[in-house]
Amino acid sequence: MQQVKNKLGVVFFPAFDWAISPTHPERQERLLYTMDQLKEEGVFDIPGIKEYKPELASRHEIEKVHFCFPDVLSNITDSHLISAGGCIKAGKLVMEKKEDKAFALVRPPGHHAMKVVHGGRGFCNINIEAIMIEYLREKYGIKKVAIVDTDCHHGDGSQDIYWHDPDTLYISIHQDGRTLYPGTGFTSEIGGPKAKGKTINIPLPPHTSDEGFLYAMENVVLPILQDFAPDLVVNSAGQDNHFSDPITNMNFSAQGYAKLTEMLKPDLVVLEGGYSIQGALPYVNLGIVLALAGLDYSYVKEPDYDPKKFQMDKRTMDYIKRICETARKNYFSPPQSDITLEKDGNWIVRNKEIFYDTSYIVERQREYLLDCENCRGILKIETSSSRVKNCLAIEAPLNCCEKCLNIAYMEYEKAKEKGYSHIQFIDRVNKKVFREKVK
Amino acid sequence: MLFGIDVGGTHTDAVLIDREVGIRAYVKIPTDPDDLLGSIRQAISEILSQEKGVEIERFNLSTTLCTNAIVQDLLEPVGVIVSAGPGIDPHKFSIGNYYEVIPGGLDHRGTEIQPLDISYANRVISNLLDYGVKVFSVVSKFSPRNPVHEEKIAELIREKADFVTLGHKLSGQLNFPRRIATAYYNSAVWPIFDKFLDSVKRCLEEFKLSPQLNILKADGGTMPYNTAKRIPVESIFSGPAASVMGIFSLCDITEDAIVLDVGGTTTDIGVFAAGVPLIEPENVRLKERPTLVRAMKVKSIGLGGDSAVRVNGDKIEIGPKRLGPCMAKGGDIPAFLDALNCISDEIYGDRDASFKGMHKINESLRCPLEETPMKIVEQGCKILKKEVSEFIDEINERPIYTIHELLEFRKIEPKKIYLMGGPANILKKFIEKEFGLPVIVPEYFGVANAIGAAIARPTMQAELFADTEKKIMTIPVLGIKENISKHYNLKVAREDIRKYMSTYIRENLGWDIDLSELEIIFESSMNMVKDVFTVGQDIRVKCQVKPGICKDYENVVRCVCNR
Repeated sequence: MQQVKNKLGVVFFPAFDWAISPTHPERQERLLYTMDQLKEEGVFDIPGIKEYKPELASRHEIEKVHFCFPDVLSNITDSHLISAGGCIKAGKLVMEKKEDKAFALVRPPGHHAMKVVHGGRGFCNINIEAIMIEYLREKYGIKKVAIVDTDCHHGDGSQDIYWHDPDTLYISIHQDGRTLYPGTGFTSEIGGPKAKGKTINIPLPPHTSDEGFLYAMENVVLPILQDFAPDLVVNSAGQDNHFSDPITNMNFSAQGYAKLTEMLKPDLVVLEGGYSIQGALPYVNLGIVLALAGLDYSYVKEPDYDPKKFQMDKRTMDYIKRICETARKNYFSPPQSDITLEKDGNWIVRNKEIFYDTSYIVERQREYLLDCENCRGILKIETSSSRVKNCLAIEAPLNCCEKCLNIAYMEYEKAKEKGYSHIQFIDRVNKKVFREKVK
Repeated sequence: MLFGIDVGGTHTDAVLIDREVGIRAYVKIPTDPDDLLGSIRQAISEILSQEKGVEIERFNLSTTLCTNAIVQDLLEPVGVIVSAGPGIDPHKFSIGNYYEVIPGGLDHRGTEIQPLDISYANRVISNLLDYGVKVFSVVSKFSPRNPVHEEKIAELIREKADFVTLGHKLSGQLNFPRRIATAYYNSAVWPIFDKFLDSVKRCLEEFKLSPQLNILKADGGTMPYNTAKRIPVESIFSGPAASVMGIFSLCDITEDAIVLDVGGTTTDIGVFAAGVPLIEPENVRLKERPTLVRAMKVKSIGLGGDSAVRVNGDKIEIGPKRLGPCMAKGGDIPAFLDALNCISDEIYGDRDASFKGMHKINESLRCPLEETPMKIVEQGCKILKKEVSEFIDEINERPIYTIHELLEFRKIEPKKIYLMGGPANILKKFIEKEFGLPVIVPEYFGVANAIGAAIARPTMQAELFADTEKKIMTIPVLGIKENISKHYNLKVAREDIRKYMSTYIRENLGWDIDLSELEIIFESSMNMVKDVFTVGQDIRVKCQVKPGICKDYENVVRCVCNR
């Protein structure tokens, strides 16, 4: 009989009746063989590993994280409510100490969904990790959270949501943005002016294999986590770094993923991307489950895996070491100067242009962060997209100071007169969300 | 006429049911654990002495023989030969003394990823034969997707062994460790069960009877003699299923309900969902190893008539242990039944001894003596209530995989309780009060298990799996493997599984089944995509014949218990 070291809850929701389109990578079949493999291995019969069903996330859980325009319901399907609800369920299992660790093996994914949502980007509509984390913060009072994103694509959505949050450390290991969607996640992206060094990007060159990933884990991720000392470690476990993935160019293996999980010791794991549904996912998911539970995973190998084929040359390894050194410095001594910093009175301003590749929408944003001495400051975003024009978003974050909270309410009142088509105001302090639709 | 017999751990119950008049005769005798056949013979002879010269059409037997053999380790040594491929180390699933892993493997679609090492397999087999191993179980990972490795290994043994179990013939469900355990136990009980079945057959002949001989399974269905000889493991834990089937035939159940069968050591909880007994495809555990044996969803809790009662602080505790019989039956320690005995109109055994037991309990309890038995009974009902609601919650928590199911999910909410077992009549009003639900104690509940066995009919489950890229359709448990066209679809798959199952049931289980009884319980058809092109369909259909009762006997046994 196999003995687990950690009790593990797996919230498994393969959404066998949902797809973006019939032949889209994000389709019904995606977790079919993963389910077959987990069932055939008898994983849920191992004492200490238990399967759970997801809950449905409420609209409020989404609205307190995202500014959705024109509204929440036109941006999501039931499947999104379930995958977000699956993450919440996983979070509850761990926070309520029913399980030591939990794995939300759900779809659709979420890490490309940004703070403002006008549609789907990179197969994502709402950020399921952020919705889970903010739920847990509000319900259980945890403060410091680290997200380690091991999806092959840069988690630009998660980065955007936590850009200004000094209590959330976001670390992403991914394929270099010059060679892959979404084209971001460079070492120069280190977080907003109030959260410098709390966003860490480790862009790795194409064809990086186990050696390179595990080097970054050991030399960047683990030391930073040790210093940050979070209350909760969340792994956005995309599985598209796999050597057989059809839409990426990396050479990571099931053994590598399992080893990474063993090193990281995350409290919560959320499935993100990963589209080699036959050759990778069954083995990678099995490897992650076994590693989380603290079981032997040494026999979990892809049938066509040959480590000799994926050995890294010295030049590439040297390059990775340099990237890692920069990333390390970005956390331990982040550069203070910021040439892009623009100010408008007390507001720090940023302009953004966002493309929603899944929904084919273009968005323009002007983001204002109130420069406050006492707190991280309230956020105000003017946004227009090819779908909805002229919207305004205001957020008073958790722990924002009284003065800022008052300003947020004043801004909200003022905005009603200004002819925006839609206004959403999130007051995290009083757990309220206001929506105004002006026609 | 139907003859039903349930050879239980303590009692053997038998009943004779007539198509016109219903129950003609019944007996309850103590079981001789060392001579089950003797108990069967005695039961038959007592029934036949009550009703002479009857024609018995079907003789349905529920027996603990295999369960006992497993519990007492009276098992034949089995050569377990597996092949695995990547995943969890197959040595972790080792069972029995002769467990061998042969190199070779299939992937999740049944594609061979490592050929079977035949010469290694031959060496292993000849070694095992040298050790005197006579029965074998052959299991490969993903064999329900493609049985080729199991078949190849079996070919090497078949001529040399007394009996071989092939994993994919037991169930089409994916679960390699369970398939291994199920196949192991199937072979391990085979010799003893096979011999037993033959002697039951001879015994019937001695009585000049030649009925169709059926064995009751854990899911409340029957299997005929020939099938039972091939899959004896299915006969385990048929006792609780017999009781649930008994209630099912005695009462006209149409809604969510629970059955409580209060025995000596335990109470069995069974569940009806919209009037249908709830079964679980994978339920039975044998010596801590989960198996693929389909069974009634039944939970046994350690609270029965003989469960010891004690006081801890100011709290009354009952069970889960039985420390000998209750005091009314000469035990030393007050038990649950002693409390019931003190408040009942019917006297059970030595009632004074039960009163003495209440005195004993009362010493450490701050309440008047006359209230003590009542308090104990109420506490017992509280425990039952708690266990029942936990059980129902667990059932309602079962995983689901589609949005449709999640949004349409119907929770089970019991509306009635069917109560049986020795103290049922005394317990009725207490259970009613604690649960706040109507409680029904059916007539003849004392032999409900035998009635259930008598009136049960075949059950079956099969899975069809089609891969239109590989152009293959299989129904593993029926041993069917066919080539299909790339246009094969869900509609044809549904027709196919119904067709093959009804043929099998008619030819092998001796029952002309109505197609409407073949219920599709799962179906899916998904695009398989390579690059960005659809290359085929992955089609899965699961079909079952759920537990039921012989329609032509339904009316004669149904009692007026639903008032």
